[in-house]
Amino acid sequence: MKSLLGAAMAALFSVAAMAADKSYTIAVIPKGTTHEFWKSIHAGAVKAEQELAAQGVTVKLFWKGPLREDDRDQQIQVVENFTSRKVSGIVLAPLDSQALVAPVATAAQAGVPVVVIDSDLKSDKQLSFVATDNFKGGQMAGEFLAKQLGGKGNIILLRYQVGSASTEAREEGFLDAIKKHAGLKLISSDQHAGATREVAYQASQNLLNRFGREVSGIFCPNETATIAMTKALRDIGRAGGQVKLVGFDSGTQSVLDLKNGDVQALVVQDPLKMGYLGVVTLVQHLQGKPVDKRMDTGVSLVTKENMTQPDMAALLAPPIAKYLKE
Amino acid sequence: MKRHFGSWSRLLQSGGPFLGLLLVCGLFALTEERAFIFTGGNFKNILIQTVIVSVGALGMTLIIVGGGIDLSVGSAVAFTGVLGAKLLVAGWSPWTTTLALVLVGGGIGLFNGTIIAGFRMMPFIVTLGMMGIVRGAAKWMGNNQTVNAPPDSPVGQLMARVNPTEFWPLPPGVWIALALAVFVAVLLRETVFGRYVFAIGANETAARYSGVRVGWVKAATYGISGLLIGFAGLLQMSRLTQGDPTVAVGLELDIIAAVVIGGASLSGGAGSVLGSLIGALIMALLRNGTNQLGWQTYTQEIIIGAVIVLAVGLDQWRQSRRRG
Repeated sequence: MKSLLGAAMAALFSVAAMAADKSYTIAVIPKGTTHEFWKSIHAGAVKAEQELAAQGVTVKLFWKGPLREDDRDQQIQVVENFTSRKVSGIVLAPLDSQALVAPVATAAQAGVPVVVIDSDLKSDKQLSFVATDNFKGGQMAGEFLAKQLGGKGNIILLRYQVGSASTEAREEGFLDAIKKHAGLKLISSDQHAGATREVAYQASQNLLNRFGREVSGIFCPNETATIAMTKALRDIGRAGGQVKLVGFDSGTQSVLDLKNGDVQALVVQDPLKMGYLGVVTLVQHLQGKPVDKRMDTGVSLVTKENMTQPDMAALLAPPIAKYLKE
Repeated sequence: MKRHFGSWSRLLQSGGPFLGLLLVCGLFALTEERAFIFTGGNFKNILIQTVIVSVGALGMTLIIVGGGIDLSVGSAVAFTGVLGAKLLVAGWSPWTTTLALVLVGGGIGLFNGTIIAGFRMMPFIVTLGMMGIVRGAAKWMGNNQTVNAPPDSPVGQLMARVNPTEFWPLPPGVWIALALAVFVAVLLRETVFGRYVFAIGANETAARYSGVRVGWVKAATYGISGLLIGFAGLLQMSRLTQGDPTVAVGLELDIIAAVVIGGASLSGGAGSVLGSLIGALIMALLRNGTNQLGWQTYTQEIIIGAVIVLAVGLDQWRQSRRRG
């Protein structure tokens, strides 16, 4: 019985393999699906799919976030399920640098290569790591803030969440830059904004309630924290440049805040490129070509002054609609 | 009160959920992805994904059959998970860590049960409060951070997926869950204690007048469930290889859903271990299958929600027909 089943399965797979000449199924697994950042990643993956299709390589994309956002166990389940699904490969933005190690190793063992994007994983089982140099991004934010403040003032760092490697690297980069200026005093760096706008807003309000009078510069390492902090600054009437705010990542609201002058600068990544390169790298590997272990997708500092330049404008408002029909 | 539960009536009682499981299997069998879904490796996958909910559902079955509810189990899983990671980091052996977690879980459960029974308070309210208290305590203990367990600890092997493309070998966590299920099923069906639990759930006043020490039995159900939750915390920690104070938010609802899909009545007096396990399997299978079909996450949520309502509705309809 077992051998019969095995033979049937083998036959099935060989048929599938023949039909699957130059055709790949790829699962792209983000940390969540509601942030605009992840929509850009999705758009990038679709861009890769379209370009590869033009070259005669058929890619079928599965776009699948964890059922409950920011739930590590749920993301593990998604990785496991696609491993069972025997997709050709997985592009994963791990929610945690440790918790996702085992499922990625299992996928590799089962012959499903994994490209890690956005956030690093404490493992050597991934094929490649395609991401922003987040430490550098944080440094850029710190340097900019130092210049804006003339090298002195009280600084708040509102952290994002523990265990998220990308934002932790930004925070470290920021602290590294701030350290070099003796006149800058860090008055809070141990509060976490959390995953949603609502909890980030609460954390910001609480911080400003305590430090609102004395703070002169703030750094927020992700989109939700930036938006929430801007809102909280407006509430106490210190937005619009009284307190210099540097954020990370761009979304509709934070770009608006930048234009209004409530946010002085945004460090932006290129998520579209990240999604694109994630898929392309995976396909190159599947075609037997060598791939780099680490790929940098670049960071830029956008201010009110340079935000209308075409290259910056494309980073602020990635052409999502061009690739995703929603 | 039914005094004899033959194997036949037991099968009948779990027949509804079992049919549901077959139905879900049948639906997935119609899709092209069946070649991936119905493989040994994937069934192992589903079993591992069900283990934590299942172990939680064992205790919850006891509680719900006894007419109670426990909303604090998700928080307790997070709390014991963080505690486990900390103990392992502190150099405790896997065995003593396991024992400690089970006892601490049991302590949380017993605390719930004592307040509910001792002060005659609504279980919903007491455990709702505990949900917040224990979650907060978990974050406090973890200093608002995830606590990474030592990567080479044997505890990490409990839920490991060795040989991912084959059904065998199943990880120890699955076997332990099965053994615990047999234990709880025997406890509920074959012991005096189990009869008391059913009696209290069906009619608490009547049970009290018949001489059942209602308070003690109630406190014990929460305590036993707590022991199991402590174990679920260990398994959750093993799966993440870390204690995460924010994990398992909403797990209590998954567990309650599994028990209810499995034919238990939230008003007490009905429910079975086998049914609850099948309920947990149905939800895991739905998630697994819709994942592999590439369906949107929101469709999964809608489907699982609909299944809960349908399962309970069908069960009531079946029972009302049986009563004539």
